[in-house]
This record gives sequence, C-alpha cells and structure tokens, in this order.
Amino acid sequence: MSSNITLESGAPVATQAAHKPLSDTEVVLETEALCKYWGGLKALDDLSLQFRDRQLHGIVGPNGAGKSTLLNLLCGTYSPTRGRILHKGEAIESIKPYEFSRRGIGRGFQKTNIYPSATCLENCSIAAQRRVGGSFNIFRSRHSEKLLTEMAEQALEKVGLAHRRDAVASRISYGEQRQLEIATVLATAPCVLLLDEPMAGMGHEESQLIIQLLKTLKQDYCIVLVEHDMDAVFELSDQLTVMVDGQHLITDTVDQVRDDARVQIAYLGQGDEVI
Amino acid sequence: MFTNRAEKLFIWVFFPLALLMPLLLDQNTYYVNKLATILILSIFVMSLDYLVGRCGLVTLGHALFYGLGGYLFVMLAPEYEAVNFWIYTFYVLAIASVVALIVGFIVLRTSGIYMIMITLALAQMCFYFFSDSTEFGGNDGVFIYVKPETHVFGLNLFDLDNPTHFYYLCLLSLFNCLLFFKLIMRSKFGRIVDAVQENPERTTALGYNVFHFRLASYVIASALGAYAGYLFALQYGFVNPSMLSWQTSGTALVMSILGGLGTLYGAILGTLVYEGLHYGFEHLTENWLLPMGVLIILMVLAFRHGLAGYLESLLEKRK
Repeated sequence: MSSNITLESGAPVATQAAHKPLSDTEVVLETEALCKYWGGLKALDDLSLQFRDRQLHGIVGPNGAGKSTLLNLLCGTYSPTRGRILHKGEAIESIKPYEFSRRGIGRGFQKTNIYPSATCLENCSIAAQRRVGGSFNIFRSRHSEKLLTEMAEQALEKVGLAHRRDAVASRISYGEQRQLEIATVLATAPCVLLLDEPMAGMGHEESQLIIQLLKTLKQDYCIVLVEHDMDAVFELSDQLTVMVDGQHLITDTVDQVRDDARVQIAYLGQGDEVI
Repeated sequence: MFTNRAEKLFIWVFFPLALLMPLLLDQNTYYVNKLATILILSIFVMSLDYLVGRCGLVTLGHALFYGLGGYLFVMLAPEYEAVNFWIYTFYVLAIASVVALIVGFIVLRTSGIYMIMITLALAQMCFYFFSDSTEFGGNDGVFIYVKPETHVFGLNLFDLDNPTHFYYLCLLSLFNCLLFFKLIMRSKFGRIVDAVQENPERTTALGYNVFHFRLASYVIASALGAYAGYLFALQYGFVNPSMLSWQTSGTALVMSILGGLGTLYGAILGTLVYEGLHYGFEHLTENWLLPMGVLIILMVLAFRHGLAGYLESLLEKRK
C-alpha cells in the first residue's frame, strides 16, 4: 500500500516542506538526507526535517514508519548510515551517545525508563548532578548540595510531581512515572525534548494531564513528539510530519496535513485496494 | 553514615569483639593468625562485593589482583633488607591501580558472561605465567625472608613479626576499607555508581559516560584487592601462584554472595561464616568439601539476600 503513495506523490516531498516557512523561531535541530539501513531494510530513507525552538513537532505514521528509528538517531542511540544531524548548525551525528544530553538533547523512552528503586527526588538529582558537576567527587556527600536539590525539586514541580518528592519511583502510578521521566530529562536543562509515545498505555485523564504538561513545556522547549494518539497530536502540534515506510510524506501545519489526500491514503488505504 | 539498622548492629558487635579477640584468645598464635587471615580475606571479598554487588560488574578474575599484590612486593623489595611498610603499601596500591586501569580498559568493553570469561582468561594467563616462571619460583612461589619495618615519623607502631600486632593492622585496614567504601557510596560519585547499576541506558541518556564510572570503580576495587594480597603475603612470608588461581576468585565470590551481595559489611559476615564452616568441617571429616558445599547451597537458597539480608529481615520483623 505504501509504495503506491510515494509513487503517486511524484515530487520529492521533503524539499517541498523544508522551503515553506512555517514559523520564524530558530531551527535548533535539523536532519539532512538522514538514512538508517539495517542490511537491506531501509528503516529511514533520505529524511530532511527542521525542528524549531519553542514548537512542538509531531511525528506520526503507521507502525514501522521509522518514527522510533528517527528518535534513536536524534539522541545518538543509533548512528546514521548516511546523512547529517545538525544541532544549532553543528554536525553532531558522529559524537558519542552521552554527549547528546550534554548538548541539550534530552530523551524520553517508549518504555518508562527511570530508576525504580530511587525516590522521585533522587531520580531528578541524578539528572541534575550532570549539570552541577562533581560526579567523580568521592568525598562530597550526595545530599549536601542545596543547589542540586533545588534543581531537582524545580524539575519535579514543572511536571506537577512536587507532592511525590520522597516517594519511591516504583510505587507511584504509571502516569506519574511517565511524568517523572519527563522531569528527569528537564533536570538536565535540555533545549530539545525527544519524546517517544509519552501517552502510550494511559487512560483518558492521565493523557489529558500529559497534554496540558506538553502545552506548557512547548513554550520553553523544542519538542519532538512521536505519538499514536491522533487527537493529542493534532491538539498539540505546531508542525506535523507524516512518515510512511521510512519515508517522509509531508510536513505541514495540522490543518494542512489533515486535509492532505496522501495522508488519508496512508492511513485509510486507497478506495480500490483489495483487502 | 551507617543508616541501615542491621549494618549498625553488625558493626557495633563485630569491631569491638574483634578488638578484644587477641586478649580473649590469650594471644594464642595459631588462632590470632587464623583470624588475621580472615580479616585479610574480608578486605578482598569486600572489594569484590563492591564490584559485583554495587557496580554490577561480575568478575571471575579478581584473584589476579590478590596475587599481584603479593608478587609486586616480591618483585620490588630487596631480598635481605627490611623495607618500609608504608612506602611499599603505596607502591603496591599505585602499580596495581595502573594495571587495573589497563585491564579494566579491556574487560569493561564487555559485559555479563563475556566479562566473566575475559576476566577469568586474564587471571589464568597470569597464573600460568607465574607458575611457569623460574625467577618467581614457579609452582613453589617465593619466600619473603625479611618483613618490612613500619617506621613512620620516627615512630615504630607495629612489629609485623608479632602476630597480635599484625592482627591489629589487618583489623584497622578492614575498618578503613569499610569506611572508604561507605564514603564512596554516599558521595556524589556513588550516586552515579548506583545509577549506572540500576539503569545504564538511562544514565547514558542523561549524559554520563558509563564507561568512566565503571573503570574508576574497577580501579578502586582492584587496588584494594591487591592490598589484601600484599597483607596475605606479608603474614605468611611467601607468595605462590595459588593466590592467582580461579579458585581464589570463585571462593571470594561465594563468600560475597553468602554474605549478601552489595551490602559491603556482608562481605565480612560471609567470609567469617565460610571460614568458620571450613574450619569446623575440616576437623570433622576428611571429605569436608562435600558437606560444606551442600550446606552453602542450602544457605544461599534459604537466605535470598544473603546473611546480611536475613539479618535485616529479622530486625524488620521485630520492629
């Protein structure tokens, strides 16, 4: 089904999107002809996108479209087969995975990824300590620094978990764990947040909480959001990219994407398709 | 610093008792020596416990450093001349750290079963090197004819030839070792060590180079393992390749698991109980390994988190 779509669209869609000025905020993260192949499988093919400051960039697409691959490339978990990743104009595709966070690219995982046996505060302290430094100091007590604790508390406050400060992370609800994960990323003082399905497996109320949270956060950060919950994505995104089979289909505002014929085909199939 | 109730209890019982032991034993040379050996082994097991239980780095080659500590002294010190104990302690710690840095750089690129295999292989290489070498006495090892003197600032605090003095040196070393590891675990460095063990993926994503923290821990643990080997060599006045054998690494791992992995004070507990059983069964039967093996398997099965974990659960119930 997907091969039809790319043929049908004809012109390379990536360039079409890149030239359209959607907003005037600064581009903080950018990919240029980014490819990731696993042997013969093209998980991601020739993707050029721009992510802007203080905007939420939604990425949607059917399963296997390469959304998670894209996030893994953007945070350094995978290295690209070809192409470039630019952070504020500098090529970063070949730096070490841990250096991505130091550059301000923070990542949330698809599966909740926290320190389950530590308290919420400690979870954020681990993150904040990266910024404060002194992580090789064996003489300084881990609880001695006010600044560090304050930073961790601020991060908890931002996501609305201040009341869970001393609760052990494994004992709080699933939704709260997702919030905590975002808090740990915030504690590293990022400029870009890469979020992989933060609302997966959540009930309606919990989802609403995260949506409100993301609405607030996007005023300060560049957010790249991969999400299956279409209502949420439509509500939140300033720009929306649709991907199909590792290929870029369209990047535009939500309204434009919603009306695009190719998107409807990608999701709903063509009328004459044999099922 | 000692927040855990079981840990506090153990420390308040163990160290005062250990302090009085030579008096209680009426300076019986055999038993004082035996206990000093247990203290030395406890240092070795504790350093391994930190690596395996706190850093999640399972090694079957920790004996490499135990043996190295002994052989380094033999290599460096002149044969018929008393050297200074403190200076040679520094030499042993420094050189073992450098060796650990190199070894760690290789072995820490692997993990899990591969790391077990590569550490085992390196230790065995070392074992065969020393057991085949003519300069270092081959299988018989080397005798240390003159023990170091302990002058410092014109004071002579210890006489290493005196078993009771040597015993107190070992006890002090063990206590410092425990304090040192506790200090590490409550420090900012320890926070990241904990984080790396619990979730390395997350820790990398937060911007930490996990490898550096593992390497630092490996060097610390290996240097202290070498210090234990150095003390052992001085106590009995000889080194031989069996210090480097995989059985030494394996036994230490059993003691550490028996005591409760990652608890640090459990290393002392595990060593005490293991050596106590060893002594008891050895006097009962010639085939002491069989009943002792069975008993240890049963104990490990019964106490899921080792003896330290059992002690903690007992105190928890009483609360």
